[in-house]
Amino acid sequence: MKYFFLSILVLTIISCKKKNDDDLAFQLIYPSYFPTPVYNFKNNELTKEKFELGRKLFYDGILSSDNSVSCGTCHSQVHGFADHNVNFSSGVNNLKGTRNSPAITNMIWSPAFMWDGGVNHIEVFSVAPITNPVEMNETMSNVISKLNNNSEYKNLFKIAYGIDNITDQAMLRALTIYMSMMVSCNSKYDKVRQGKVSFSTDEAEGYELFKQKCASCHSEPLFTNYQYKNNGLDSIYTDLGRGRITFNANDNGKFKVPSLRNVELTYPYMHDGRFWTLEQVLEHYNSGIKHSATLAPELASGLPMTADEKKKIIAFLKTLTDYTIISDFKFAPQ
Amino acid sequence: MKTIKIAIFALMASTLLLSTSCKKEEPTTNGNGQVTINLKHLWGMGTDTFRLNTTYIHPMNGDTMTFSTYKYYVSNFKLKKSDGTWWVHPESYFLVDLSSNSSSLLDLGALPIGEYTELSYTLGVDSLRNVSGAQTGALSTMNNMFWSWNTGYIMIKAEGISPQSTTGNFAFHLGGFSGVNSTVATKTVDFSSNPLTIKKDKISEIHFNVNTAMTWCTSGSCAGTSSVMMPGAIGHQMATDFHNGFVFDYIVE
Ligand code: HEC
Ligand code: HEC
Repeated sequence: MKYFFLSILVLTIISCKKKNDDDLAFQLIYPSYFPTPVYNFKNNELTKEKFELGRKLFYDGILSSDNSVSCGTCHSQVHGFADHNVNFSSGVNNLKGTRNSPAITNMIWSPAFMWDGGVNHIEVFSVAPITNPVEMNETMSNVISKLNNNSEYKNLFKIAYGIDNITDQAMLRALTIYMSMMVSCNSKYDKVRQGKVSFSTDEAEGYELFKQKCASCHSEPLFTNYQYKNNGLDSIYTDLGRGRITFNANDNGKFKVPSLRNVELTYPYMHDGRFWTLEQVLEHYNSGIKHSATLAPELASGLPMTADEKKKIIAFLKTLTDYTIISDFKFAPQ
Repeated sequence: MKTIKIAIFALMASTLLLSTSCKKEEPTTNGNGQVTINLKHLWGMGTDTFRLNTTYIHPMNGDTMTFSTYKYYVSNFKLKKSDGTWWVHPESYFLVDLSSNSSSLLDLGALPIGEYTELSYTLGVDSLRNVSGAQTGALSTMNNMFWSWNTGYIMIKAEGISPQSTTGNFAFHLGGFSGVNSTVATKTVDFSSNPLTIKKDKISEIHFNVNTAMTWCTSGSCAGTSSVMMPGAIGHQMATDFHNGFVFDYIVE
């Protein structure tokens, strides 16, 4: 039997001698079979004060033009930090974008952000929703002046970042710290890997099928290889995906392979939220692949699956649900 | 005993170092002077300062253009000493914004006195700062010179009105920091034939002329292209033309 150890990365300098639960709650903890995160906290050390400030910002409509929309509006804890089960989330003035709001756990492992990978660093990510007219419809300077006119925020930034004047850099970094702690690593799949429990027969068979058919893109342990692939949704692309960023026709119709952690909770699925159930997703891979120039070669003849195989893969996918992260009070608005 | 030996050795080594360095250098190596980069913005071959909200005719394509925004990044100033080493200006990022008339004077602060033969600078923001997360100062996202959906700083932003444009407006946001369509360029000015001497407590000025009309010398009239909002071949061409319009003029010691 294998032994698993949790690697505990202490990024905070804990001044007091004995560690209490509170200290442990503000360390970055992830299993040893996870890779090293891309985000390295080099210029933004993890502290409880930054986390709490980031959480307050994440749930505060102050980041939007009419104070009505927060990050939490479109990234909801109970849905694994994806949208509230709508295909297109509503921003300011009830305007809707053209892409589905993805789950944002385990973001510090992602080398790029958005369905098309257009954003290259988690710290600058938040500029996109804040300034997008159909999301928060604000300007960076106005957000920062609203925060600077708020005595509570002034005090919190002083405590967390030691600054008297709030800067966009500090605000973006506080949001990054809050998101960095959203580590989803306590699903049944993880407990099985750690030797604590075992899969049911269906789940175990589903896992084997998943490894054969799906894991080339949805690779363990984060269930994505972070590449851009065309998984055969359309033969004529309304959204160019990766091609919109690289201006290379070979990238048209390709999207970032999404993680499947908490996939049971994050429906609807795909960049445009076109599928509402996992059954529909599997039927797509089984019989719905549409051909086009950039289709991933391994999907050229679909991924044939019997009804029984589909059922088992879905049973396995449900072992990726992490009830700890969706109910952890530390991530809730307070 | 051992510590004493080490101390003696260190003392000897440092005197050796000190004496060799003293031998090489000229007697007056102590102290600092100052240097500024003075930018004069001109329209075409004109001699009047280029200004916002003033109507100009393009010398080549004949377009009538009135600018409401004209701002760009220049960064990474370095000066080469006559001994071949470089003085590097720290945190060297400037947003030149013609809506504020003071921004045409870039203060590089204090630098050691001595002779300098070459200047190096970057038009736009170097690729490292484009991939390193949230920044401050000139590189703050509050300056609206940052693409949020395709990460990167805009090298130059020029906006205004032109009757030749089908919409009546023009907006050129030229950016992109990698690959063949990069808009970022590092340039050098060699003045070794007539070196710049930085003198103690004196401010020296390095003057540039910026021909703001150059940006449109290849791309043609606003009737064809009146808006660029993403990296690409047109943006690259226009950026290169802008770079060529940014020209060293003279030095005042
Ligand atoms: C109006 C809904 C909405 C709001 C408000 C919103 N988001 Fe998003 N979020 C989305 C959508 C839609 C996407 C996918 C965008 C795309 O790919 O074009 C997304 C993507 C993301 C991603 C990238 C996920 C990935 O896998 O690449 C992160 C991180 C994120 N949002 C964080 C935030 C933060 C932080 C805020 C608040 C500052 C925020 N979001 C506000 C809808 C929203
Ligand atoms: C060739 C790579 C590839 C293979 C193989 C693959 N997928 Fe995907 N998968 C993708 C990409 C890319 C997307 C996102 C596509 C989009 O939205 O345009 C995706 C999306 C999904 C989604 C939607 C997730 C969400 O949050 O919206 C699910 C569920 C999914 N795949 C399950 C599977 C299963 C199960 C298999 C095996 C039967 C599989 N995939 C095989 C590349 C792949």
